[in-house]
Amino acid sequence: MPADTLQLRGLCVAYGTVAALSEVDLSVAPGEVLALLGPSGSGKSTLLHTVAGFHPPKSGEVWLSGRRVSSPTSSVPPERRDLAMVFQNYALWPHLSALDTVAYPARRRGESRARAREQAMVILKRLNVGHLSGRHPAELSGGEQQRVGLARALARQASLYLFDEPTAHLDTHVRGVFLEELVTRQRDTGAAAVYAAHDAEETLGLADRVALLAAGRVLQVGSPEQVYSEPVDLLAAQLTGPASVLTVPNGSGQVLVRPEWVALSGVRPARIRDVWFRGPHSDYLLDTDQGRLLVRESGPPAHRRDDQVTWNLRRFWPLPPGQTPPSQTSSGQVPSNLAVPE
Amino acid sequence: MAGARGLRGATAGVVGLAAAAVVLVPLLVMARTVWVEGAGLDDMLASPGLGRAVRNTFMLALAVTVLSVPLGTLLALGLRRTDLPGRSFWRVAVLLPVLVPDFVLGYSWLRAYGRAGFTDDLLGAHWSAVQGPVGVTVVVVVNAVPLVYLITAVGLAARAEPAMERAARASGAGALSVLRTITLPLLRPATATAAVLVFVLTLGTFAIPQVMGSPAGFTTITTRIYANLARSSDPLAFVEAVSLALLLVVITVLVVAPADALLGPRLRVTRVASTDPASASGNRTAGRWVAATGIGCYSLLAVGLPLLALVSTAITRAVGLPPSPENWTFANFGSVLTPRTGEALGRSLLLAAAAASVLVLLGGLVAALERSRSGRGVATLVTLTLVLPGSTLALGMLIAYGRWIGGTLVIILLAYIAKLWAIAHRPISGALDRLPPDELHASRVSGASPLTAIRTVVVRPLAPALLAAWLVCFLTALHEVTMSSLLYGPGSETLAVVVLNSTELGQVGATSALSVVITVLLLLPALGFWFLIRRLTRDRMTVTAVPEPVRAG
Repeated sequence: MPADTLQLRGLCVAYGTVAALSEVDLSVAPGEVLALLGPSGSGKSTLLHTVAGFHPPKSGEVWLSGRRVSSPTSSVPPERRDLAMVFQNYALWPHLSALDTVAYPARRRGESRARAREQAMVILKRLNVGHLSGRHPAELSGGEQQRVGLARALARQASLYLFDEPTAHLDTHVRGVFLEELVTRQRDTGAAAVYAAHDAEETLGLADRVALLAAGRVLQVGSPEQVYSEPVDLLAAQLTGPASVLTVPNGSGQVLVRPEWVALSGVRPARIRDVWFRGPHSDYLLDTDQGRLLVRESGPPAHRRDDQVTWNLRRFWPLPPGQTPPSQTSSGQVPSNLAVPE
Repeated sequence: MAGARGLRGATAGVVGLAAAAVVLVPLLVMARTVWVEGAGLDDMLASPGLGRAVRNTFMLALAVTVLSVPLGTLLALGLRRTDLPGRSFWRVAVLLPVLVPDFVLGYSWLRAYGRAGFTDDLLGAHWSAVQGPVGVTVVVVVNAVPLVYLITAVGLAARAEPAMERAARASGAGALSVLRTITLPLLRPATATAAVLVFVLTLGTFAIPQVMGSPAGFTTITTRIYANLARSSDPLAFVEAVSLALLLVVITVLVVAPADALLGPRLRVTRVASTDPASASGNRTAGRWVAATGIGCYSLLAVGLPLLALVSTAITRAVGLPPSPENWTFANFGSVLTPRTGEALGRSLLLAAAAASVLVLLGGLVAALERSRSGRGVATLVTLTLVLPGSTLALGMLIAYGRWIGGTLVIILLAYIAKLWAIAHRPISGALDRLPPDELHASRVSGASPLTAIRTVVVRPLAPALLAAWLVCFLTALHEVTMSSLLYGPGSETLAVVVLNSTELGQVGATSALSVVITVLLLLPALGFWFLIRRLTRDRMTVTAVPEPVRAG
């Protein structure tokens, strides 16, 4: 069995005395796409920057394809690690044209200028930005800049790609185009990738596996379906999408319910507290005997506020005991976890 | 609304008049003087002594630029881009020459490395070239390096963000390759600015050539102007001085104008500085110790040892005695701390405080005005004063206003205002630029009137800049000697003039004691204010230094 493309062993990183990552163990197999999902400040960027070799770990190790590249005492410089990176703020060099930017990695490999530019042009054309090759970053839109950033990473011909929230500054439409591009290129190169994001929808559709990160710790690692349907705890559940928590009638615990796991028909009575039309589907917030319940059904709203309805669970996921869902069911407030994540 | 516009127009008028009075009028009357009284000047201008002074000035400026720009850039890269041991200490240490008055720095080099100096006493070795062109060049370089360092460091923060270098490392570039292909090209505007500024400021530098060059017969345009004015009663010598002063302006404009045309547009698109202090790579290299040692040696030889020599001379009984405890005395301090020195000190503090206060007000006004079209011309005029040589301004003041206020503190104050206006204006203007307009808008839509908005959300973020501007003006005025030495009269000597005159009298112990006094006087408030400003800015720094900066787009 070939070595994992990336392995993190007990990785701890700190900024001064502030811990940014604590005891992170992760691995990425060759060709695999691992998504890092977590809120802002959870340590996603720090993790990627440590893998790239920009931050030394406080303890723990980073291994790339069976070779130790980072430990508290030794570090392989970034340029000698077999990886490429796409940055959140694009990090395009203001003094270089798009063509020279994408030619840059080949130049560093020792290619001649002409040959490096030739290769760069091929990549730019493949990403449909060939016509922008002469422009400088200031003359490019956000989406165009990020495609040049992606092109530069592809030109590196690495076996691991790091994406540091590459779509954070792109608007929804451009984001879709960019992701499509990214997935296609990813498949073409057959390289492994770590993709950091805070948008659950984007991440789940993209990844082979998902790692949930919060406050510098890995909460859960699994397939997208797994982390969505079988979260280890409430926090993990909230990272991947909206969910409600219901108390089991006999008092033996709590269960987690995704909005689409509920059918608005059945035997249990409830009153509709709120309704939101969301385009392809509609969300209902129900007052039930077991607590507040968010329900998602396709199509425009079929009920109104204060309507009496019945419901039934198609599916649920028991939360491990000891979870204290803060104020979800008891208080009169609309629970925060009911909002659709950004 | 109309009232507000009228008020702004009136302010623009007043500020414009002030700028014209302290800059344009003096220049014009100088030109007129040369035009009217220039008969017989041709012979004088052809004299070999004058030609030599012009050539010396030019060569000095060239040499200093060529040497100080790489050195300052190297320092900035070493201190801003690596994790050198003791980084924060060195960052302060390399700025020390800014706080030490240039004539003190020059004099302390003579005391450290010259004949009968510190190394001569201790090791029996001295460097005879320290008095003369070589010594002048080296010390002006030492004096210019902090300026290059500062400009480059700002350039590093604004354009060559660590992310740029990280992207290059992740693209396969080694550390040196990143420097060559990314960092230095991105720094080009900053480097060019620094080069132009150093060249122009060296053209107008006076104290170091006067203290270190004149005794060896090395003259520059500025020292010749001083000699013409101080030692000659020949009216033609005065006209020659005025012509030389104007020549300085012409050379300055010839250098600055094309540079501004070339660099201006590029400099104006610099991005907001990121506060990510991390180095481009987390590698701890062995080279950092080498670099730290290099910076340490440089600081020690360029500033540390000379200042030590100065102190040692000041507390030693007589020149030539070894600086050992049995020869220590405070007699030198006793001899210079006379009532006359005290008065000069009082005048210096008063002048500096008055100049700084007026300048912060004027600088703030211009910074506010330049945001509207009517004020932009004033701002340009004000920026020009940065590169106008002090000797020129002083002569202009003398001709324009000497009849009424010559020899008084007022004319010196006017000259300070003219010379330092740009220095006060730049930090305030920069801070205003960094203030997002939305913050002001947010305050207005939250119910604040324009004045309340300024008071509550503008002044507080500007406080460090205002304080810094005041401090820089105060300190610069306190050790200003180029203009004061041309403008002072009986009863209006500043402390700096007293020290400069003392260097020329050859009283080594007394001069050293005076130099120590004025340096301590500068260092104390500087360090105090520095800590204050750091404190004022720290709470904001901590907010922006959150590990994972996520700028919502």
